[in-house]
Amino acid sequence: MDRRHYLRSLAGAGVVGTAGCLGSVPGFGNENVVLGPPEQDLSEAAHPSYGDELPAVTLPDPIAGEEVSTARIFDERDRAVLLTFFYTHCPDGVCPALIQRLRRAQEVAAEEGYGDDSAFLPITFDPERDTAEVLREYATQQGVSLEAGNWHFLRPETYEAGQTLLEEKFGLVIEKAPADDYENLEYQFPHYGLILLANKRGYVERAYPNGPTVDIETVVNDFERVVTA
Amino acid sequence: MRRRQVIAGVASTAALGGAGLLATGNVPSVLGGSDTEPVDPVTLPTIDAPGSTAGEVTIPAPDRPTFVDFFATWCAPCEEQMPILADVRPQVDDRVRFVSVTPEDASQDAVRRTIADWWREHDGDWLVASDVTAALTSKLNVGAYPTAVAIDETGRVRWSDSGVHTADELLAGIETAL
Repeated sequence: MDRRHYLRSLAGAGVVGTAGCLGSVPGFGNENVVLGPPEQDLSEAAHPSYGDELPAVTLPDPIAGEEVSTARIFDERDRAVLLTFFYTHCPDGVCPALIQRLRRAQEVAAEEGYGDDSAFLPITFDPERDTAEVLREYATQQGVSLEAGNWHFLRPETYEAGQTLLEEKFGLVIEKAPADDYENLEYQFPHYGLILLANKRGYVERAYPNGPTVDIETVVNDFERVVTA
Repeated sequence: MRRRQVIAGVASTAALGGAGLLATGNVPSVLGGSDTEPVDPVTLPTIDAPGSTAGEVTIPAPDRPTFVDFFATWCAPCEEQMPILADVRPQVDDRVRFVSVTPEDASQDAVRRTIADWWREHDGDWLVASDVTAALTSKLNVGAYPTAVAIDETGRVRWSDSGVHTADELLAGIETAL
């Protein structure tokens, strides 16, 4: 069943590929995207979804010491993007599960030779604790390659700036909550485990609202089809 | 309308957070049925640590059932799971390949030392391997730590469940793969 769907989608991608550009064949639906519509229609969700333009954001990458702009990634660097929202003090395993999906996609990108066509952008909403040093340590812990040059942890200047950005651009409401259940943790953030996949032109191909549990190979395969289209 | 959906999403994540655990979600599809596909074997480096020597392990094992404990050194509940695993292992060791696997990348020396130190500190005494490229973790869609997975002799997953388990739960899970 799944396999049939996959093959059919591949066939579709093949036709589009022959035409030489992203889905510009009439009758193939949304011309800005590579993948067919997702099984679950998320167009009413508050967050960006299939066919939407990924909201443009410019945020510091504190490890590289540079500003990263999503618009520039699409326009100049011609990369497909996996983007998610996390914080390193996440006590319940949700964030490592999100990061793990991006990490596996990064590994496969390196193995398959499309690492330079890819960008992985996890945005922290806890800039107070997620300093460059903490993020670097987290990368090591999570098996992320910073040397590949395609992974940018993005860190808003302040908690409030991040909160505003996430709500206005991505429809995600983030609030600090007491962390009474956890030792050594002053506060936590109940949050939405969202992963977004955008193509090289900056359009959302997939939104995975169940990011921490979505099948890892589904994300990796979707990303591969988008980045190699 | 839009706002309601966001709030619903947050609430469900918060509920997960409260449980301190995260279901991997793929279990029903891989359990039991005759159409379950065998897992393609992955070869991982093993770590020089108590009960474990540097080398390689292939998972699933080609010739017998496999039990995998997915853990990470940054995972606090995994510490709690260790003495229970130590108790269960001698009861099943002659029938299954018993191995712990971390998604941490031991090809980096510092990470390898961290894993070996953690292993010693928590009285590990069996084979421990590193999923250096997260290949096995991805195949089995492990999203939370610890996660226990029992694979039968033919390479099919028979049981997969996240969270800290009692010895009886682990033994019952392993039993499904024998």
